[in-house]
Amino acid sequence: MDWLRISASRLLSLFRKRELDRDLDAEVRAHLEMLTAENIRRGMSPEDARHAARREFGGLEQAKELYREQRGLPFLDHFMQDVRFALRSLGKRPGFTLVAVFTLAIGIGANTAIFTAVHSVLLQSLPFPKADRLAIVWSTLGTEGRAPASGPELAMLSQQTRLFEDLGAIWAQSGALTGEGEPEQVRLGMVTANFFGILGTAPQVGRYFEPGEQGPGSPRAMIISDGLWHRRFGADPRWIGKTVRLNGQSVTMVGVMPPGFRIIFPEGSSVPPEMDAYVPFRSNFASSPADQSYLRVIGRLRVGVTITQAQQEVDTLAAQIRAQYPTFADPPLTLQVVPLQGDVVRNIRPALLALFGGAGLVLLIACVNVANLLLVRANERTLEMAVRTAIGAGRGRLIRQLLTESVLLSCCGAVAALGFGWCALKLVLAMQPKEMERFSTIQMNPLVFVFTFIVAIVVGALFGLAPALGTRKLDLARSLKDNRQTCTRSGGRQRNLLVISEVALGFVLLIGAGLMLRTFVRLLQVNPGFDATNVLTFRISVASVKYQSPDAAVQFFRKLKENLSQMPGVETAGVISHLPFDDTLPNWYGFYWRDGASKHDQNTTMADLRSSLPGYFKSMGATFLSGRDFDDHDVAENLKLAIVDDTVAKESWAGQDVVGKLINIENGNFVRDTAQVIGVVKHMQYHTLTDQVRGQIYLLYPQAIRAHMAVTLKSSSSTQTLLPLIRQQVASLDKDLPIYQVEPMTDYVESARRQTRFVTLLAGIMGGIALLLACIGIYAVTMYSVLQRMREIGVRTALGAAPRQLFALVLRQSMLPIALGLLAGFALALLLTPFLSSLLFGVRPTDISTFCVGALILSTAGLIACLLPARRATRVDPVIALRYE
Amino acid sequence: MAPPRGEVLQGTLDLIVLQTLHAMGSLHGYGIAQRVQQVSGDLLKLNQGTLYPALLRLEQRGWISSKWGASENNRKARFYSLTRAGRKQLLAETASWKRMTALMTRLLGGTQGA
Repeated sequence: MDWLRISASRLLSLFRKRELDRDLDAEVRAHLEMLTAENIRRGMSPEDARHAARREFGGLEQAKELYREQRGLPFLDHFMQDVRFALRSLGKRPGFTLVAVFTLAIGIGANTAIFTAVHSVLLQSLPFPKADRLAIVWSTLGTEGRAPASGPELAMLSQQTRLFEDLGAIWAQSGALTGEGEPEQVRLGMVTANFFGILGTAPQVGRYFEPGEQGPGSPRAMIISDGLWHRRFGADPRWIGKTVRLNGQSVTMVGVMPPGFRIIFPEGSSVPPEMDAYVPFRSNFASSPADQSYLRVIGRLRVGVTITQAQQEVDTLAAQIRAQYPTFADPPLTLQVVPLQGDVVRNIRPALLALFGGAGLVLLIACVNVANLLLVRANERTLEMAVRTAIGAGRGRLIRQLLTESVLLSCCGAVAALGFGWCALKLVLAMQPKEMERFSTIQMNPLVFVFTFIVAIVVGALFGLAPALGTRKLDLARSLKDNRQTCTRSGGRQRNLLVISEVALGFVLLIGAGLMLRTFVRLLQVNPGFDATNVLTFRISVASVKYQSPDAAVQFFRKLKENLSQMPGVETAGVISHLPFDDTLPNWYGFYWRDGASKHDQNTTMADLRSSLPGYFKSMGATFLSGRDFDDHDVAENLKLAIVDDTVAKESWAGQDVVGKLINIENGNFVRDTAQVIGVVKHMQYHTLTDQVRGQIYLLYPQAIRAHMAVTLKSSSSTQTLLPLIRQQVASLDKDLPIYQVEPMTDYVESARRQTRFVTLLAGIMGGIALLLACIGIYAVTMYSVLQRMREIGVRTALGAAPRQLFALVLRQSMLPIALGLLAGFALALLLTPFLSSLLFGVRPTDISTFCVGALILSTAGLIACLLPARRATRVDPVIALRYE
Repeated sequence: MAPPRGEVLQGTLDLIVLQTLHAMGSLHGYGIAQRVQQVSGDLLKLNQGTLYPALLRLEQRGWISSKWGASENNRKARFYSLTRAGRKQLLAETASWKRMTALMTRLLGGTQGA
């Protein structure tokens, strides 16, 4: 406990320093007076007595200093001294301080912004309790992984698992709320009764689903979102327990999810983050067909169970399923357990990490610039340092002083960086890539502040070290005598090294930005197989009882399409079951095979299955390679008709004439059917712009009824003009049917480019900053060396050197480190760009033309940065330069 | 390396001050210095200034306490006195010092005898 008391006393004394100093003075004075009095009493003269007393007492100031060190915290004392001194000396050079702080703010701020995103998306766990125990179980469909599971698979998993606490599933649908008020189309999540329990999020009002509310014949229950509750039910808790009409059925509202609740499933899983309502499944999973795969399975692992252990268990269960259901034997079913969080971020992770790396490089360049500024300043302060050494400051003390200054500088930078980073973060969020949409809370938090200041302190120590170590080479006598600026060779070499590293780092960033830019340009050039310009889309669903007869639905869409295509300004109207790049509703896909394929070839290839009415292809500007579109004479009763894309045509009948061939497909609700191919269209990109995921097979709507459809309108009129007319047309057919998701097709295409656009823009900004910082650095170094060599240049001029020669001399000497930096940058970029490959499209990470253009840009910028100093050299007046001495 | 002759080791200075205060009661810095000089004669050369950091150290440990008062000839001075903890510390240190000197005596005596 002693140390505690002592530290407390030492700490307290810091706050009453002046009072304690006065006490010490009084005490010492009393002592000396008593000693002097005693000496006088012994017969000395007062003068002698005083001197003798001082001698006996010993070094007065020394004793006081010893006392003060014993009293306070000498470390803290010195530190405060250093800080005060640093503040004074920074304040004396506002220009230098401002430039340094600004440079650091950019460097650190970029990191703060990106770190905030990285932290919120990659590091922070998902907003569910114990989210690290949540895992997704992906199934296989044929040879494709990451597929939804079927009822029997889920039944087997939930019954047999010992390592999962519970397993459940979700399937995104849509439904219509009718009854009181306007009819409303809602995004509907079909879930297992235990779904919210697995996530661990309880309803804010009401209760979870009960096990008895799932399965055939169970009472119909519904849980709704906070948004729908406010929008439609006035946030009135009395609605709980009441019934509402959903898809023409009475369902009881049992709960309301809390505000901000989102289902966070990976991109491409067809589970949108926000849904309006949830109802439990009504089928018996164990006895439902094994070839209907639609369940997105999620489970909560028991405490302490690892993903590897769960995978082993699931492997065993998959073997049991294969043995029990012949459908899953060939191709063999496999199940894959992945952590929910890891799966959700798997697409955005490489992009965020690459950007984080880029931000790190920007910071390094900023550091190099500030280190250069400090070096220049250290040179100017040689005299100051020499004086301080002469009056007894040790080398350690000097280094500490310099480090304090640089860390203080970078902490000022950090404060500015928080502001800068906040703005940058707003920018990042404004162009939020799709994957980050799932994370509603990307914001700065205490950890970001800690991160920023740790970065600042490390960085401050780093760039403060160079000038601090320079103090070693201090030649006292010479420095004190020689009050003019001198150019030491080692200082020049140090600065050249700074230029080299700056150019090398800047080059890497430029190449990264260049590669992303080329990827983005390639993405803009991709032909998705359709023409999105002037295509307006909206969705409409006929899920209610009114349309239970297929005829009603067919009549409705036929009539709607006809009426819409006759509107003024509309060229063509089409109806399709799934729009390209639309991930809000599950995508229908399944096995297909050409008629007569061997048993082995039957369950191998899958295609997206679409249902459409004549006119869709024309409205989308798709290209027919052979055959024809559906027409209005094709009716439900005849032989099923299909239009396939060239991918399917090639896979099934490579090189043959496809029109007239028969194909086995899965029609609508998992029913097997044979259809005749009447046309081949060029493949359309439905999932991403870059990957060809599956082929497509289009069926005629009357032969493949779906409840949820989209309408495409090719029209040169604006959305604002069209929308009221569309609503009018829909209402004239059925006043209860809402239209939703009204969006131009170009927006869908845009959303498919969003991640690349995001990375490209940020990489471009970083590349720009890097280029600017590098130029400033090169300019500063060159200009400084010219100013230092005034005398030499003056002598040269006096001896007859032509301005042109001087100009060339400065340029030659400054371009050398730039060239070396480019070489180093080349090597570094070759080493680093392969890490970007997963973000690139249509360009190799080591693309030679990007490298060449990058080198050209950087060397041109470097040259421009040197021009001004070089011109300055030609203007040196020899007389003035020599008098300088 | 032996300390220069007559210089006071830090640990011993603490013990001397404690013992002085034990013997004399409340005393100011000058008084302590005089007393130490008086007792040790010329054997101990004390730099009187170094007394003050030592007094502060002892006070921080809670072995002595101080308060302002008036000296014999009415000068304002700070008077130090032993606390209970200080008394205990003095006893403990005296005992250990005695043990040490006994040991050293035996050891050095033995060398002499050989």
